[in-house]
Amino acid sequence: MAKLIIKDLHAEVDGKEILKGIDLTIDQKETVAFLGPNGHGKSTLLNIIIGHPRYHVTKGSIFLDDLNVLEMSVDQRSKAGLFLGMQNPVEIPGVINSDFLRASVNAHGKKPISTYNFYKILDTSTKELKMPFDLATRSLNEGFSGGEKKRNEILQLLMLQPKIALLDEIDSGLDVDAMQTVADVIKKEQEKGMGFLIISHYARLFELIQPTRAIVMINGKIVIDGDPSYIKRIDQTGYEFIKTEFGIEIDKDEIDMNKVSLGECGIKEIIR
Amino acid sequence: MKKEFLLHESELKESEIFTISLNENEKVQITTNSNDTKCIFVSDFSNGSILNIDLKENSKMQLSFLAKRNFDKAEINVNLEKGAHFTAYFADFSKDKEKLKVAINLNGEDSAAHWHLASLSANNDNKEFNININHIAFQTTAISDNYGVCKDQSKLVFSGCSAIYKGSHGSHTRQNSKIMVFDENCDAIARPLLKIDEKDIEASHGAVVGRIPEEHLFYLTSRGLDESEAKRLITYGYLKPITRGFFDESVREEIVSLIERRM
Repeated sequence: MAKLIIKDLHAEVDGKEILKGIDLTIDQKETVAFLGPNGHGKSTLLNIIIGHPRYHVTKGSIFLDDLNVLEMSVDQRSKAGLFLGMQNPVEIPGVINSDFLRASVNAHGKKPISTYNFYKILDTSTKELKMPFDLATRSLNEGFSGGEKKRNEILQLLMLQPKIALLDEIDSGLDVDAMQTVADVIKKEQEKGMGFLIISHYARLFELIQPTRAIVMINGKIVIDGDPSYIKRIDQTGYEFIKTEFGIEIDKDEIDMNKVSLGECGIKEIIR
Repeated sequence: MKKEFLLHESELKESEIFTISLNENEKVQITTNSNDTKCIFVSDFSNGSILNIDLKENSKMQLSFLAKRNFDKAEINVNLEKGAHFTAYFADFSKDKEKLKVAINLNGEDSAAHWHLASLSANNDNKEFNININHIAFQTTAISDNYGVCKDQSKLVFSGCSAIYKGSHGSHTRQNSKIMVFDENCDAIARPLLKIDEKDIEASHGAVVGRIPEEHLFYLTSRGLDESEAKRLITYGYLKPITRGFFDESVREEIVSLIERRM
């Protein structure tokens, strides 16, 4: 069973320190509910584990068993068994979903998958997620609804079979039925031994998948690492008890004023 | 706004499909009859070639080009009468210096045109595509979609004007120009231009020149693709959609193989 071990992790984005010393261990068989107010570093941690280039680790370590994750490229981390189900999956025009899925499956395997086997797995997985098969033949996430994008993330999880899956607000944009479908898939994968670290602001998903543990991040630190009862408590009372019981002042999320407030003629965009 | 003027399969079956090639400095005139549907594949387009097309009332034409040879100082001029529809697909895999000038004149009411271009520029290529669309009658519609990939020390320019003249009320026009830049020394320019001389119209343009977005690369690599495979997939996705406009399977396969080889 794989183990993800994070020690004294500090990280910054654009010169601002977001993570201020994270210690966390996740076993492959665990399902960890990851809670905390917006803007306190939850998504940052998930992105750093998978290797997003925007974030810079200034101190600390991440290991997947004996593999030094911080020394690995993004694709190597995926092949080692880490997966990030993204909060806002990007739309990539022209890249056909099934071409991309097949290339990903091939990247994970020792030899290329046959066309027959690939479509068999794709067919089974799309049926499990109650997704229309034609989503696989369209451009990657382009024109997908919010719910379709999230199901497409879970489709990739099913096809790549990671050891530990990090899911960032995978339930946002899902209607009640779709959430049940996604929860059923997660439960099935839990039984097969996949580990999960799941960010969500709603107790509904957690009620359906029954996490084994809950952690709470405040001000870039994990302040609670305990049993799942915290999920219900936070859902009912919010995060105020952290101030009264733990003496931690919760930093407010700063919202910058938009730099551009007037509309522009047409679109002129420079990609960095 | 209607986005796609691709002929339906039934129309393709019923239409007259033929292949033409234009030699150097050759001038070809094609005129449809009213209510005609024509599909034309231009297998060769050369330096100084001039293709003039007149679409009579309510006729439809789908024109596809596969450019492998040089077509410097070449021209395509299209005139549409009332209710005529014109769709063009230009797949450019030529080498060296090219300058193509296109003029699409929507002379008749309710006429519509959709121009698609995919161009790959590499090594020391120097290419300019000047696409001009003139809305001369009312309720006319046009879309100009231009996609390019610019590599090495090459130069790629997308220019041209979409003009809505007086009397063309109720018209819609859209220009899209996107160039993906691969190397520091290449030069890519997307220069959209709208000229509007009428009210009650819809006009827009979008121009994007830049490297592969970091977020796209991150997304694909986070699923196990290495960076070169991710770039290949994105570039392929940029150019491959042009194959939709070619009705012969072997030509579609040739385009895919040209993309693979030249990337």
